[in-house]
Amino acid sequence: MHRWFVLVAVIAAWAAVPVVADRQLVGLLVFTAIYVIAGLGVGLLLGQCGIVNFAQAAFYGIGAYSTAYCTARLGLPNAAGFVLGIGGSAAIAFLIGWPVLRLTGYFLALATLAFGIIANSMFFEWDLITGGELGVGGIPKLAIGAFVFDTPERFYYLVWIVVFVCMLLVRNLMGSRTGLMMRAMRDSPEAAASLAIDMHWLRTKMFMVGAALGSIGGSLWAHHINFVSVHSFSIERSITLLLIPVIGGLNSLPGIVIGALFVTFVPEFFSRFGDFHQILFGLALVAVVVAAPNGIIGFGAAIIDRWKTSLATTDEAK
Amino acid sequence: MSFLMTQAVLAGIVNGCIYALTGMGLAAIFKGTRVINAMQGEFSIIAAIATVLLMRGYGLPYWAAISGGIASGAVIGAVVEIMLVRPMNARNAPDDSYLLLTIGLAMTLSACVLYFVGRDSYGLPPIGGDGVIFVSDAILQEHAAWLIGIVLLLSLVIRQFYHKTTLGLSMMAASIDPDGAATSGVDVRMMRTCTFALGGILGAVAGVLVAPIVPVNYHLGLALTLKGFAAAILGGLTNPMGAVIGGLVLGLVESLAVVGVPSGYRDVVAFSALIAIMIFMPHGLLGHAGRKGG
Repeated sequence: MHRWFVLVAVIAAWAAVPVVADRQLVGLLVFTAIYVIAGLGVGLLLGQCGIVNFAQAAFYGIGAYSTAYCTARLGLPNAAGFVLGIGGSAAIAFLIGWPVLRLTGYFLALATLAFGIIANSMFFEWDLITGGELGVGGIPKLAIGAFVFDTPERFYYLVWIVVFVCMLLVRNLMGSRTGLMMRAMRDSPEAAASLAIDMHWLRTKMFMVGAALGSIGGSLWAHHINFVSVHSFSIERSITLLLIPVIGGLNSLPGIVIGALFVTFVPEFFSRFGDFHQILFGLALVAVVVAAPNGIIGFGAAIIDRWKTSLATTDEAK
Repeated sequence: MSFLMTQAVLAGIVNGCIYALTGMGLAAIFKGTRVINAMQGEFSIIAAIATVLLMRGYGLPYWAAISGGIASGAVIGAVVEIMLVRPMNARNAPDDSYLLLTIGLAMTLSACVLYFVGRDSYGLPPIGGDGVIFVSDAILQEHAAWLIGIVLLLSLVIRQFYHKTTLGLSMMAASIDPDGAATSGVDVRMMRTCTFALGGILGAVAGVLVAPIVPVNYHLGLALTLKGFAAAILGGLTNPMGAVIGGLVLGLVESLAVVGVPSGYRDVVAFSALIAIMIFMPHGLLGHAGRKGG
């Protein structure tokens, strides 16, 4: 009963935002949603498989360029960009992941980092497709039938519904047999291996899923700002996307949303301080890592726990 | 060897030495504390810019300014360890959180540089002036020759430091077996601070050596860290000497690739080679068994 009430309240607040909030806030929330989708891909790998992925911006870029190329250059329907992006990212994730996912720990992190740099150079050099430094413009807005998502408010509803669907799918995945296998692999690789779980293939599959999520985020982003350029898919972007699950909380879906809110709103809030805002963002990040090791979600849970315990002890005292 | 090849090899060695020095700093910190230090490149840019400012603003002589710059690296390293790494270590934080901490610090420090000294690039006068040395028919700046010499010398010094001096041995002991080291009277926490200071010094030396060749700005740190990280991994990560070999290999692969493929693919070639080496030579180029990271 209580949970349903919270759910209804959250949905009502979500639906009311574009009506009451100004356009800038709605715009930021659209970016938040796109980051949630791409961040889900990173969080799934990090939280469930222990894979640090420094290359999510590459898949994000593949999605964005697929959309740009299919719609702005070839004039194909919008869906083609999404399909090509997802298919392309998953295929590349397979080709890269199959050999690379044998590595573990820091070495795997470096391998994904290296791939991220390679992909960024490729985006830069293959200017026939990507437009190189100049980028690709004129990407149309998304539309369903005659209804065009041409204002931030309309797009807001669309992207958050996509977020919701992606989260539901990820949640189902985590609860499925595959999810149980992942948990077994994460908590006790030896036991998982003795149960004939093909861990290498499982990790590769998850890498492909994460890449597909990144690609969906990239395609939506391209449709939203109508322009893509190589500077959007740098290592810094990959680091931002990696920070989303880390800041919010690794193993929780609401944590991803909080992480995405953090990386969009904190820099925006600090931007009034000019160049100084980057220092503040860096310090905020350091503070989260030092003070809230389980992410903001974990930090909040710890505080609530302490509050409940103190309530319980005062009750006993009475 | 054609002129172009000789020149490419020389450029590769010079770049490789810079990567090697950054990699040595990373490897030293990893060896001593098991922390991957993503702010290694920031040590370099801060030291280089501090040196330039000491020379310009306070009119200090060249060597005094360089000493000041290098000291800044040591101080930053020690302060970071005492204020941030030590409390996290005390509560047994997981490995990846150190990586995130240093990423956050790298962002903060590079933003500080941007805020306080702006977007300009800062160069230093080269050691040995503008003189050049001819190697067969190719040209090597005199400064670059100094750089190569200093890096090789430094790698030997570090090796001797870890094997012969009490401080070096204590730092290793504190990392390999903290409890055992503490029992034998080694101040483990102090040794970890020293390790970070040493990493800061190595990063700072890299900074003052690179600034005469490539003027440094707030944005250069990440690129340096990445290449240094690659060098360290190629060498086996726990072995500062290995980083020298890793750095040279990386530098040579990169610059020789430019002879064959368009220059935009420089990073593609270098990092593809890195991935291939990690997969096919999982113990680094030296084949050491001591290459434990994950």
